[in-house]
Amino acid sequence: MARTDPKKDVVIIGLGWTGSILGMELAQEGLEILALERGPDRETVPDFEYPKVIDELKYGIRLGFMQKPKKSTLTIRRTLDEVAQPYRRLGSFLPGDGVGGAGIHWNGQTWRPLEIELRLKSYVEETFGAATIPDGMTIQDWGVNYDEMEPYFDRFEYMAGIAGKAGNIKGEIQAGGNPFEAPRSRDFPMPPMKQGVDAQMFAKTASALGLHPFPRPSANATQSYVNEYGMQLGPCNYCGFCERYGCANYSKSSPQTCILDALKRMPNFSYKVNSEVLKIELAEDGKTATGVTYFDEAAQEEVFQPADLVIVAAYSLHNVHLMLLSGIGEPWDPVQQTGTTGKNYSYQMNGATSLFFKDVEFNPFAAAGSNGISIDDYAISQIDFAKEGFIGGSYITAGISNGQPIRGISLPEGTPSWGASWKQGIGDWYGHAMSIGSHGSNMAYRDCYLDLDPTYTDPHGRSLMRMTFNWKDNDIRMTQFMRSKIEPIAEAMQPDSWQSSYKAEGAQYDVRPYQTTHNVGGAIMGTDPKTSSLNRYLQAWGQHNVFVMGASAFPQNIQYNPTGMVGALAYWAADAIRNDYLPNPRPLV
Amino acid sequence: MNRVLRVLLIVAAIAMVAFLAFLYVPVQRTPAQMVLAADYAVPEGAGAYAMRIADCAACHTAEGGQPFAGGRAIISPVGTIYSSNITPDPETGVGRYTLSEFRAALYDGVRPDGSHLYPAMPYENYRKLTEQDIRALYSYFQNDVPPVKATQPLNDLAFPFNLSWGLRAWKWVALGEPGFTARSSDADLARGQYLVEGPGHCGACHSPRNALMAQAALTGADPAFLSGGQIAGWTAPPLRGAISAIQGWSAHDITLILATARNAHSAINGEMQLVVRDSSQYMTDGDLTAIAAYLGALNQRAPKPAAEGQTDTEKLLISADPSMDLGPRLYLDNCAACHFTNGRGADEVFPELDGSSLVTAESPTGLISMILQGGELPSTAVRPARLRMPGFAYRLSDDEVATLATFLRQAWSNNTDAVTVDEVSGLRQLDTAN
Amino acid sequence: MPQFPFHRTRRSFLAGTAAGAALSVLAFQARAQAAKEVPLAEYTPEYLSPAEYAFVMAATARLIPSEGDGPGALDARVPVFIDRQLAGDFGIAADLYMEGPFNPEADPNLGTQTALPPAEIYRQGIPAFDIWCADTQGGLFADLDTDAQDIALTALSNGEVGLSADLREFWSLLLQNTKEGYFCDPQYGGNAGMESWVYIGFPGARGNFDDWVGRQEVYPLGPVNIAGERA
Repeated sequence: MARTDPKKDVVIIGLGWTGSILGMELAQEGLEILALERGPDRETVPDFEYPKVIDELKYGIRLGFMQKPKKSTLTIRRTLDEVAQPYRRLGSFLPGDGVGGAGIHWNGQTWRPLEIELRLKSYVEETFGAATIPDGMTIQDWGVNYDEMEPYFDRFEYMAGIAGKAGNIKGEIQAGGNPFEAPRSRDFPMPPMKQGVDAQMFAKTASALGLHPFPRPSANATQSYVNEYGMQLGPCNYCGFCERYGCANYSKSSPQTCILDALKRMPNFSYKVNSEVLKIELAEDGKTATGVTYFDEAAQEEVFQPADLVIVAAYSLHNVHLMLLSGIGEPWDPVQQTGTTGKNYSYQMNGATSLFFKDVEFNPFAAAGSNGISIDDYAISQIDFAKEGFIGGSYITAGISNGQPIRGISLPEGTPSWGASWKQGIGDWYGHAMSIGSHGSNMAYRDCYLDLDPTYTDPHGRSLMRMTFNWKDNDIRMTQFMRSKIEPIAEAMQPDSWQSSYKAEGAQYDVRPYQTTHNVGGAIMGTDPKTSSLNRYLQAWGQHNVFVMGASAFPQNIQYNPTGMVGALAYWAADAIRNDYLPNPRPLV
Repeated sequence: MNRVLRVLLIVAAIAMVAFLAFLYVPVQRTPAQMVLAADYAVPEGAGAYAMRIADCAACHTAEGGQPFAGGRAIISPVGTIYSSNITPDPETGVGRYTLSEFRAALYDGVRPDGSHLYPAMPYENYRKLTEQDIRALYSYFQNDVPPVKATQPLNDLAFPFNLSWGLRAWKWVALGEPGFTARSSDADLARGQYLVEGPGHCGACHSPRNALMAQAALTGADPAFLSGGQIAGWTAPPLRGAISAIQGWSAHDITLILATARNAHSAINGEMQLVVRDSSQYMTDGDLTAIAAYLGALNQRAPKPAAEGQTDTEKLLISADPSMDLGPRLYLDNCAACHFTNGRGADEVFPELDGSSLVTAESPTGLISMILQGGELPSTAVRPARLRMPGFAYRLSDDEVATLATFLRQAWSNNTDAVTVDEVSGLRQLDTAN
Repeated sequence: MPQFPFHRTRRSFLAGTAAGAALSVLAFQARAQAAKEVPLAEYTPEYLSPAEYAFVMAATARLIPSEGDGPGALDARVPVFIDRQLAGDFGIAADLYMEGPFNPEADPNLGTQTALPPAEIYRQGIPAFDIWCADTQGGLFADLDTDAQDIALTALSNGEVGLSADLREFWSLLLQNTKEGYFCDPQYGGNAGMESWVYIGFPGARGNFDDWVGRQEVYPLGPVNIAGERA
């Protein structure tokens, strides 16, 4: 029998980046707020304490900060007629859990999308003709444009303390920055990171080839920093343990370093850990939410928490799962092409070329999550889709993020994976390899989506979510295009040897090797309730007191890491709630 | 002989009479040092503010206990004292205190029944409180604090400290004149002097103690005042003089560390964390500026010239040369991640070790404890982050801690005595026992 | 200098981090104990049977042999690591989704689908592989000469030894766990003396290389582990 707790003004599902931002913004309105976090509490000390967190086996391999599939997972299939199988062991993507969420274990690469990416469908139709969009591709516009989002990118970047070099300030191109980026109102709050030997070599060659290298924007601080909440970052010391780890040095932007101690001081804000929300409860007419039901692990009971406003701020996949379980929106039907919830799940198309230099010392352990030099000469805005035969683009980077040996030592082609030659290989090549990677867009497709699995259930008896996803020709052509641009750069750097790894024709999605935790879409934003789940303020079309944060709102994936856009959207939505919704709760569109 | 004996008897009789008078003549209560208007009313908020600047909570609220209900254990060399209940509860608190009795507790360390308070209560300093602040505190503890019925454990003190006549004698020697006299006509300097000498009771820790354990000086006119003391074995650093911990600090550096426990040079440690947590972070900008002005005036020396280029220590650490001694090796393996090879840390986040008063203190207790147990900065309104340094007790042997601490005390521009293994072992055992 | 005679209880300002302090002496003694490890041959496994342990010793010795530069798996005490992992949460698949139905024959791209936790995969995989070794190489794996062992492991890596679908991960687990034990922090029983880190030039748990970013020279200093030991 469920317990019912006293009503709150706001309940926030998930206490990662967006839950923390919304918590702070709405707490400043004086609202009574409860945040429910399904995982444990986490603080820099003791949870990320130096040097205990520098434990590759515990965190890099056994994934100590990630969600446990035993508690929460999904099923995956590649095609509509395949039987989906549970994602029993984490591999391809690594959702986090606990306070801070993925905000503790990311690398910190913090980009803004390009102007055209937020109106991709219109851009393609206007520039190349509607026929450029292949059958089955379901890309859409976002419903917001870059100019109106700019102040919110700026807000997030200054709150999180991003290090970088602007390439375009109010339309004026800045030497040393990314000349292809959308205009910023001002430079980054901190200067860019130091660059490793690999990035310096890449920058030199790229410049010589007439390309435009610039330092990758980074949420690893380069100096002491104090943000708008008085929260602090210390300079990164290039420890080489960033992605998959919490930062031991208060250097990586995270809810912990940037928001939480300030938020915890707000008397009208509280949070509960080990409290997984099972369902968002709707009023009888289905037009508003009445609160959430969650499982209180400490009390071992279900709790109904009434609230006037429900902020869905879990990881993107879990946002969609909750919407499917709660009846928020009609589920997407890939055959009839009706409904919206679960629609347009997309991922990220990445590739890389490895280069080996026997006489160069890269010291790969002297690294940060997001130092590195990038080029954006092959960005999605720079490519003639009609000519090249695909829609999409990538940024390209050289930047070693770690030298952790279990996670893999890059070895020249032909080196065995075990035995005496392998051992000789790791001795010869550790510290003598680098890579140039492409990080690319992934379009949305009719048959790449999320729904409920008919067979498998979680410990609470709820249906697991089912992911249907596979690589498509359009995106494979895009990554092969990047290969054709990267390999000449690699050759020009004159390594002793090099080898490439890009998805090729016929590539099938493989859930085992890690690829990226940029799972987007499924609760997409847009202009039309028939084709999107959320309006431009991240408000559910059908339930005006439900706002859904996160990358689940992306109609298709941008070519960049998503956190910059996720953070900006959170501030954008918070602004709409504070200034427009709270004075007069209603559908904002 | 007879005559001598008679004189001695007379002297003895006089002494006996004096001693009996000492024991039985009622103690005098110092009256108000200023007459306030008959209709004087404590301004809104003044009570709570006076409580903050006098830092009553630090001692009178037990960890996790009801506000001001007392019961916090105060360790002393002669036993444990428990702070008293100062809520308005009539039975167990101060609810029945008259204004005059309340003032006497603050000025004279005397309870209504004439018994003496132990000088853990800093009445040496509170004797300087203005009548306005006395009235503010009285109003606050009579009206603004919920009464809590709570008695403290009996003080557990050894003979003769369990006898109050000893304290009476001590007070005769230790206490200065009541009331406050400003030495400057500058309003900021005068206010700063008042806060530092009076309610802030900075001298209770930062001034040395004389042979009677009394504060060696109670006013800034005396160079001994704030010239450094010790508390719980930790050095409360000198705030003036040749080795002043704040030498070269700007007024902003001083106000920031009082408001936030951190600044570009240093981070608050030890007992001072509680002062920031419960008191100084609540001070107005005006009062913090006044304190900074006053402390600045006590530190008229030129700042240390900034070190030019890399020190030999930094060059050695940057080389990562495997032949380096154990001290620098331990620094690279344990400390450099935050404090960096130049020993300068990072503004407001990682304290400087080069020139640090904690590192170079006469007594290495604070430094050793910091290495073993780490530290934590309190959350403040301006800087909410509870930044923490982890402890390294599990990772470093006593030998290693001593070697590392010795390295720190002699690295960069530091030049202080070595630390012995015994000093480390003693502290590790103490911490384990605690 | 006389001390201020009164101070609050130490706990009050050490509250944040003192919780572990009481254990520090014990923890330090534990570290000293760990240094006195029994020889590999005398190690008493927590999970593996004697025969299984003999297999793991023999197999890891070929996966990372001792000859040539750098330590071998046995020098790094990889078998101890594997035994302890199988005895713990990893072995029992404590974190994995283990609800049925199970379809171990599903496309490998869809990830592990066996009902067997890793420890059980070793338990069933070792005798199954030994049967193949006996049939084709004339003896249990541990008893073969090294050339035959290499032939057998090659066949295992190529999926040519006829293991059931439930045991499809046996090879990848064995190889992955071997490399884990070779490079992990020594607290887990492997990477003895941090020799594997020394071999490749990985500095371990120092976490502090600000002065070495972009510096094109060999980093000379040896590693430190989480317990603070140096190599």
